[in-house]
Amino acid sequence: MTSGKISKIKERFLKEVEEEKDAGKKRKICKKYIEEDLASVFSLVKNLSGEKRGEVGRAANELREFITKKMEGEKREEVAEKARIDVTFPGTEPDLGSLHPLTVLQKRCEEIFQKMGFVVAGGPELENEWYNFDALNFKKDHPVREMQDTLFAKQKDRGSLSEKEKLLMRTHTSPVQVRYMENRKPPFRIIVPGRVFRNETTDNSHEINFYQLEGLMVGEDVSIANFRAVIGYFLQQLFRAKVKLRLRPSFFPFTEPSFEVDVSCSICDQKGCSVCKQTGWIEIMGAGMVHPNVLRSAKVDPDKFTGFAFGCGLDRIAMIEHKIENVRLFYSGDLRFLKQF
Amino acid sequence: MKFSYNLLQSFFKEKLPSANELAEALMMHFFEVEEIEKLEKDTILDIDILSSRAGDCFSHNGVAREIAAITGKKYQPFDTKIRESKQEITERIEADVRSACSRYTLRAVDNVKVKESPLYIQQRLKTCGIKPINNIVDITNYVMLETGQPLHAFDADKIEGGKIFVRYAKKREKIVTLDEKRYELKDNILIIADELSPIGIAGIKGGIVPEIDANTKSIYLEAGNFDPITIRKGSQDLKLRTDASLRFEHGISPELTQIAVDRAAKLISEIAKGNVVKGMIDYYPEKAKETEISFKIDELRKVLGVDISLKEVEKILRSLEFKVKRSNGSFFVIPPVLRTDIFIKEDVFEEVGRIYGYENIEKSVPEESVIPAEKEEYFEVKDFCKNLWQSFGFNESYNYSFINEDGANCYDIKKLIEMEKPVSLEFKYLRPSLLLGLLKNVAENEKNYQDIRIFELGSVFFKEGIESTELKKLSAVSTVDDFYQMKGKIDMFLRKLSGKSASYKETEKNSVLNTRRAAEVLLNNEEIGFLGEASQEMKKKLKIKREVVLFEIDFEKIVGAYESVKKYEQILKFPSSVRDISVLVPKNEPYLNVLEKISKEGGAMLRKVDLFDFYEGKEIPKNMKNFAFRLIFQAKDKTLSSKEVNVLQEKIIKALDKVPEWKVRK
Repeated sequence: MTSGKISKIKERFLKEVEEEKDAGKKRKICKKYIEEDLASVFSLVKNLSGEKRGEVGRAANELREFITKKMEGEKREEVAEKARIDVTFPGTEPDLGSLHPLTVLQKRCEEIFQKMGFVVAGGPELENEWYNFDALNFKKDHPVREMQDTLFAKQKDRGSLSEKEKLLMRTHTSPVQVRYMENRKPPFRIIVPGRVFRNETTDNSHEINFYQLEGLMVGEDVSIANFRAVIGYFLQQLFRAKVKLRLRPSFFPFTEPSFEVDVSCSICDQKGCSVCKQTGWIEIMGAGMVHPNVLRSAKVDPDKFTGFAFGCGLDRIAMIEHKIENVRLFYSGDLRFLKQF
Repeated sequence: MKFSYNLLQSFFKEKLPSANELAEALMMHFFEVEEIEKLEKDTILDIDILSSRAGDCFSHNGVAREIAAITGKKYQPFDTKIRESKQEITERIEADVRSACSRYTLRAVDNVKVKESPLYIQQRLKTCGIKPINNIVDITNYVMLETGQPLHAFDADKIEGGKIFVRYAKKREKIVTLDEKRYELKDNILIIADELSPIGIAGIKGGIVPEIDANTKSIYLEAGNFDPITIRKGSQDLKLRTDASLRFEHGISPELTQIAVDRAAKLISEIAKGNVVKGMIDYYPEKAKETEISFKIDELRKVLGVDISLKEVEKILRSLEFKVKRSNGSFFVIPPVLRTDIFIKEDVFEEVGRIYGYENIEKSVPEESVIPAEKEEYFEVKDFCKNLWQSFGFNESYNYSFINEDGANCYDIKKLIEMEKPVSLEFKYLRPSLLLGLLKNVAENEKNYQDIRIFELGSVFFKEGIESTELKKLSAVSTVDDFYQMKGKIDMFLRKLSGKSASYKETEKNSVLNTRRAAEVLLNNEEIGFLGEASQEMKKKLKIKREVVLFEIDFEKIVGAYESVKKYEQILKFPSSVRDISVLVPKNEPYLNVLEKISKEGGAMLRKVDLFDFYEGKEIPKNMKNFAFRLIFQAKDKTLSSKEVNVLQEKIIKALDKVPEWKVRK
């Protein structure tokens, strides 16, 4: 009996074990080697003398330890195999719910403006003529009042009511400018997200109710150049791209000067696409410097303070962002739509 | 509005830039050109003239002046020099202006030859969407396109008497217009009349009686300046909008009448070979005043945010034909007489800004003092509510603010706010509740989903007496949750929101809910909303198949209860002890009564009471139910001995047993 013989037993064991696939059978092989082959080696070792006995005994012990470990490993493998799961089986999803895409967009806009010190403010949807028109420098009996298809409330003897008693669904979020300013002292920085109404036949891009984001900044030293900086930052953050903006002359009763704001089309990089109607620019908001008559309506001194105001449609921005083709989906309550956000 | 490129060109000797280049320049400094259409011999520029500039730019003259200011090309006014005959017009006719007319100008032309007008006039009219008729009529229309002043030509021989009146119509007075339509007039309609009858609807359309025809020899050329509101209301009443009424509605300068009449007389004398009669009838009691506007250069610079020079400001204003004086950094300017939109210095700033070019204004970060950005609490609570209901598995929906007649009948219709002439009857009333919309969402989504959970936060509207009220509500519907699961969510929601527990009371007052299965929700002892199952009637009406549990909460009431900083309670160090108690009570005994009794007896050491089992049915007496509670005892300052806990437990059992019909099971 030599240690060389023990190495041979090990080789034989390894070969036999490798050839077997089944963990249970592998374990049986281990058991067999410990109980038969190694047991007979140990019975022979007793008869060896001195130095050799020590050497062969050590080798035999090492082999027994090796096979025992192997056996334990196979045992664990056997247990694991029984508990095997199908990792390709479908997972169980939590019921998370969803926020309306316009809620998400509104919140994003609020966060961008809050970084610039704007306060989020609100006002009623059922408004009166004074705040919706008169206070905003819309002259009575002038065609500009017809620029917006107004939805009026049916009221008895409407003709005899004062402007503040005549009710309508607000056609824009601008009345909140005056409502906010009249009870406070400048400077002001506010944004007003909210639902507005137009009495229009609905189609893919028109709804009877939709959302606007109004903004107002009034102070002793507020200029068009400031407007460019504030809105430039907002649009870059909003479209997550280095967009350019362009101001074009326009007309609104409540601002003077007035302009239309275009943003460079980040979808096609101004190469021309269906969203920008091949022009490279998207009309995104109406804006201007607050008309002195509006400041006066809100009891703010126009000789001391100036300011800019703007308004944009959130539905349209969300439609551009998500490539939504029909505005009516926002108001459909269709879970196939809502669950995507 | 459509403009003829050729007619615009006629105001310049120099060649204008191409239509595309012109459109680009106009867009950046004036108004948007919505469409360019190339015709065989002309190009149509469809310019979106906004109402502020309707007064002077519903005309080629106005737009040409803009082009001159923007491009620097030299504008030349049209020719109005006339050779007049000897006879004075005043010997023939008088004008009697009674109302709503600030200027009325009339010229006469004799010996005209009525025939087709020259091709260039016909083409330019067509470019602008006007049908050529004969040289006289065409010239009046052509001059309207040039000047923006509507004019009218009558056959002088068809006028009865020697007077022309501008007056309101008498009741029931009738007129047949040039297009052979018959109108019965009311006394708010302004007309032009001879001594016998109406010959035209002032500012809107001419009458057929004095129509120009092939035999016409002498004509009267009329241009008035009529009251915009009168024309607008008249045109609305008669449902008759014309190129003329469109221009009068917006208000034009009274200075235009003479310019237009002279220009037309000049063209008629050349084209129709007429002799212009000497002088004109000109009713013009109050000449338009020039108003001087003053401002400081610093004010202008502050608004634009650029360091524009005095010279440049002067140059821009002069290019727009303002009269300009300046001294020591102050400007005194007078706008051109045809501009009807410039009254205050801000109007002048806009003129400077747009011609200078908003594109040339560099951005500049505001230097205003920092104002701490805050959200009105309302918006903070709104976000909080939405996020929480989303995390409960609900999908947020936005429904219309309106309901139709059918929906309105679910409520007390007297309390609803009705809309005046909505585009569709679907939008006839304002919604008094969010639930109708949400239940409709359930009905629609049932086609695709079994498990439906939807919420909405929005405004509802109703009348109380004559007062109209707008309130924000938070509502949800679920086909997944039963009453108690929904109640649990409301409990969790209100606790997270306010740090306080809600309580509930049986309610019957809501018609949307099944009776005896509905509750009023209270917070701080105030009613804040309701919870229950959608009534069978409601479900049938909306064709909903599944059971629906819903709630509606008054949002304004919970905003006040919002606790933005959550209260922290120290975690107790000493171990707790657990005891179970099981009690039989009559079936109609509310759970709350049992809970309150246990809590009262347990006192401060009783930290928590959990209902861990509920049973009714076999094995217990009929008409009884069994509650099994797990009681957790814990003290703040020591470990409770089992003896102490046993004493407390005994105390509770005794108190429960004392109630007749209640029985603690041992």
